[in-house]
Amino acid sequence: MSSPSPVDPRVEKTALTDEGLISVHDNVAAGKSDAGGHYRMLPLVLLFVFSGLIIFAVTYLNRYSGHFRGNIFDERQLPSNGPVVVAKADPLVLGKKQYGLACVTCHMPNGLGLPGIYPPLAGSEWVAGSDERLIRIVLHGLKGPVTVKGIVYGTAAMPAFGQVPGSGYNWSDEKIAAVLTYIRQEWGNTAAPISTERVAELRAKAGSRKEWVEAELRQLP
Amino acid sequence: MITVPPNHASAEADGIDASARCPLGLLTAFALLWLVVGGALALLSLLQLHSPGLLADCAWLTYGRLQAVQETVFIYGWAINAGLAAALWLLVRLGGDGLRGANYVILGGVFWNLALVLGLVGIAAGYTTSHPMLQIPRYVQPLMLVAYAAMAVPGVLAWTGRRTVQTYATQWYAVAALFLLPWFFSATQVMLTFLPMRGTLQMVVATWYAQNLISLWLAPVALASAYYLVPKITGRVLPGYDFAIYGFWALLAFGTWMGGRHLIGGPVPAWIATVGIVSSILVLFHHIILFVNLRGVFRPDGSTVLIFVAIGILAYLLSGMVDAIFATHVLAMVTQFTYFQQAQQQLTLGAFSMILFGVLYYMVPRLAGATWPSVALIRAHFLSVLIGFVLLVTSLGMAGWVQGRDLNNAAVTFATIASHTRPWLQLAVVAQALMLLGNLLLAVHCCWLLCARFAPAALSRTAAREVVVS
Repeated sequence: MSSPSPVDPRVEKTALTDEGLISVHDNVAAGKSDAGGHYRMLPLVLLFVFSGLIIFAVTYLNRYSGHFRGNIFDERQLPSNGPVVVAKADPLVLGKKQYGLACVTCHMPNGLGLPGIYPPLAGSEWVAGSDERLIRIVLHGLKGPVTVKGIVYGTAAMPAFGQVPGSGYNWSDEKIAAVLTYIRQEWGNTAAPISTERVAELRAKAGSRKEWVEAELRQLP
Repeated sequence: MITVPPNHASAEADGIDASARCPLGLLTAFALLWLVVGGALALLSLLQLHSPGLLADCAWLTYGRLQAVQETVFIYGWAINAGLAAALWLLVRLGGDGLRGANYVILGGVFWNLALVLGLVGIAAGYTTSHPMLQIPRYVQPLMLVAYAAMAVPGVLAWTGRRTVQTYATQWYAVAALFLLPWFFSATQVMLTFLPMRGTLQMVVATWYAQNLISLWLAPVALASAYYLVPKITGRVLPGYDFAIYGFWALLAFGTWMGGRHLIGGPVPAWIATVGIVSSILVLFHHIILFVNLRGVFRPDGSTVLIFVAIGILAYLLSGMVDAIFATHVLAMVTQFTYFQQAQQQLTLGAFSMILFGVLYYMVPRLAGATWPSVALIRAHFLSVLIGFVLLVTSLGMAGWVQGRDLNNAAVTFATIASHTRPWLQLAVVAQALMLLGNLLLAVHCCWLLCARFAPAALSRTAAREVVVS
């Protein structure tokens, strides 16, 4: 339909009226009867293309959307559906943190306590000695006078830290094991570390009880 | 192929065009003015990229502010003025009735451009918002929204009061653009300006806005024009037109989600970037249908308007592919935060401008009721803009690729990177200067046309003298 004659660019010619433009295209969009049985390839091709795009998009979304969670920032690190694996904390790091949260108030950062009021941990025979006694003190607390390095301390009480009735702290066995391992290896102490299992075992054995007194503890191994 | 009866009325729709002459002529004049101003500012800011000392003592014209000013001038000055003129004209033409509510366009146009001037002064004085493509200060944003609404009124009237029940793709795209901008512009104003959201959420909203401006306004307006001009000039019915509606909805449905791809590796949940990447791939369906429908434009039969539109459509298809390909992780790792993104943006904006140039060459003579005075000026404009456009996108793209490759290599110092990109940036300056020259020619040509049309007394005298001389 286009004529090969040169086109004047100063004003473009119009080949179609506005009404004609709308009506011919509306006829196309309405679709004609397929009496002639003309087969059109285009719808099929577009269907395939769109399906392909959708499949790609859904696969990509499924793999890299981070399950649409607000706390996943790396799309290649998916949240796992299996049992939650918690990284094991270094007992010395955890213990130091726990010590800083509570113990440091009385026993001081240098582990020496306050003379006459709070007993020292550094070089203490209670810390380096029986692990059973030490664990029980932290689990359930200690009341009444106690002799450390030959000096009697009697005015303050040690609160219960374990997950036991009446405890204000409810520290897990892991935290207690960590803080005890820490104090047994800090400030020149060189006693063996204490395991979480050992703490759990003693906590189960003692059940519900009040704070210890020194005499009771000395009967334990 | 379906044959179309040839057009009988060469001066069809004279009454319709006369009713639109004043308001749309005003918008076109504003648009051309901003196009030239924006081109000059863009040239300056590109020069500053490799000569940082230029105007460094003048706070109002330092790179950060100048870049924001030129981007704002281009989008809110050139693109929206010209785009609205085109969209309104197309709706009025296809509505089959004259332009109703012309005063709304004039009032809205004056206030829009007044607000823009205030906003530009604000940006230059340092009150910019820092959100890309929405740098205008908060105090003019509501005014611009109201002014836009006023300008859009005749478009809505032409749509609701159209003579035919049947509609055409041009009308869908134009009406969608008219209605979508107030939606995302107002929503963004609330979320970023007046009740700003927390921290990184602002970034998500800002990229959403910038993407919407491109996908839900610039693209629909340009495509409305292309869908009108191609059958109008070639006289051929668009092939596969019955699928145009799917192309339209694909753009609207997926385009708005594409912004997230700019946030790859950013401090936002991973799914935002992933959805952005997926959408920029899904939106290719729209591009495929567009190519099927408008492929007739690549046989322009010597029509200058169609050559402009063909280059615009080609750039638009290319930008869709580049967006999809470079959204993927591997490539985004290199191109993100480099000049490459500017090249991508220039490709998209250039596609819009090319199609709009085509509309202007078709619309202005009809609005003014006069032909373009000079064929040479049209050719000169076309050549300089085309060469400038291709050069600018290529040079910025190359600069960005070099920059991204070097940035990922810790052994290369910043000074070395700068010296590697320098030649490409110098080429970009040349390209920008060419485009500025071309657009200046267009503006001059437009003035000439107006003078020839509306000051006939003076011209006829010169013409008479010429006749005597020759």
